[in-house]
Amino acid sequence: MVARTWLLLQAAVVVAALGVRESNAMERGDAERGRTLFALAGGCGCHTAKDGPVGAGGGEVPTPFGKFYGTNITPDVETGIGTWSDEEIIAAIRDGVARGKGVESPAMPYYWYSGMTDADVRDLVAYLRTLPAVRKENRPHEGELPFARLAYRLWRTLFAPRFDRVRERPTDPIARGRYWVDHVSLCADCHTPRNFVGAIRFDLYLAGSLQGPGGDKVPNITPHETGIASWDEDDLVQLLRTGFTPEFDNVQGWMAEVVEGKGGGPGYRDAPEEELRAIARYLRTVKPIAHKIESERE
Amino acid sequence: MGWIVVGLLVASAALAHERKEGLPEGPIRERHELMERVGKQAKIIGDALKTGKLEPVGPAAAKIAEEASKALPLFPEGSTHPRSRAKPEIWQQWPEFEKLMGQLQADAKATVAAAQGGGDVRAAANKMFGNCKSCHDRFRLPEKE
Ligand code: HEC
Ligand code: HEC
Repeated sequence: MVARTWLLLQAAVVVAALGVRESNAMERGDAERGRTLFALAGGCGCHTAKDGPVGAGGGEVPTPFGKFYGTNITPDVETGIGTWSDEEIIAAIRDGVARGKGVESPAMPYYWYSGMTDADVRDLVAYLRTLPAVRKENRPHEGELPFARLAYRLWRTLFAPRFDRVRERPTDPIARGRYWVDHVSLCADCHTPRNFVGAIRFDLYLAGSLQGPGGDKVPNITPHETGIASWDEDDLVQLLRTGFTPEFDNVQGWMAEVVEGKGGGPGYRDAPEEELRAIARYLRTVKPIAHKIESERE
Repeated sequence: MGWIVVGLLVASAALAHERKEGLPEGPIRERHELMERVGKQAKIIGDALKTGKLEPVGPAAAKIAEEASKALPLFPEGSTHPRSRAKPEIWQQWPEFEKLMGQLQADAKATVAAAQGGGDVRAAANKMFGNCKSCHDRFRLPEKE
């Protein structure tokens, strides 16, 4: 009797251990795939200063609510995220909760990333863990509001868009393009204007803004004549690959950063052809919106 | 009361107009127009490379060479303007700027030659386009409102 109980117990332990192993294996991301995601995410450039190192923080994000500096996301244990668990990092990316600090500012586009699949966000985390650890203190935000964390929490409750989490990366190219545009590459984040409280103007989805991030002018990329109706799929892929528009006018500023990556890290141009093509295909299908981002130079 | 409202409307319209004022007449506007014309020719070349029908490449590259030969005088010393994207570095590093414009002209001519003489048109054109980006990255500001 005792022996049998013992056996059963042993068996239970083995099964449990196997189970744990199994779920660990499922949860551990793949850093190689994660690098592709990092590229498709435009190199997460806010977290890299102009001259690098990659992920060590210090990218400038000027907003109407003060100037933010991207934080150190390298595995440094003191100044980076070396001691964070995978779950904590994933929460920071998708839920907007930074360990020990509370709700993140809307400058971190966690609400767009919230649609990212479990598998993709895990791969991304696995890649972040392979970045060289850099010891570099985070730079405090300039001009941050009093009670900022409370304000961010309120903002998240009132204005952050809510997306359904995508369960599995879509295989249909157009749905897949949409997944990248909305939840990973964040074309939608920069190319969609916001209102005065920073809420996203979905009625002008991808229709551009005179006052984009950092005051840069962000063009309308819907297939309307005030946007990029004249561009075909190849033109878009060329832009994401080389930074050249069909007129060989190269993009600069934020767009150049996401195309080229920052501090020597990967950007859109390093992503697989088929994914860039999926983005291009999806963009040809979005609703054309008349929204002239006037060139006030004429 | 009504007049105050009208006055405010007029004033805000005037302000809005002020904000929308474009580039001043003269070299700043002319170089902007020149670059736009260069862009149009570049697109012709890009489209030709895409379709493989290469006939338009030679004439378009010739026009780019011609425009490039006229560009430098449109950058008189210190000709900045809030609406212009020209960086002050242009005049601090004039020899470099001059060299890039010269290189554009030379590479455009080489593209014409390749198109006429059956050379590698694509390689020649890509080399030429490299100058656009090199110069813009160094000497042109990102577009602001
Ligand atoms: C970090 C902000 C940001 C992100 C992310 C971003 N863009 Fe842009 N994009 C810009 C800015 C700013 C410009 C204007 C660049 C310039 O004119 O030099 C631009 C320019 C463009 C243009 C050129 C349009 C024209 O009329 O010249 C296209 C097309 C474009 N982006 C597509 C995309 C796509 C597709 C994605 C996602 C894969 C994307 N962008 C992601 C900021 C961004
Ligand atoms: C030697 C430097 C240089 C080279 C080479 C050059 N450009 Fe430019 N380009 C400029 C500068 C500077 C401006 C901004 C002028 C201003 O705003 O005052 C500009 C502006 C432009 C603009 C924007 C027009 C505007 O003002 O809105 C386009 C389009 C353009 N260039 C296309 C091209 C193309 C295509 C090529 C290559 C075939 C090219 N450029 C080569 C320096 C250069």
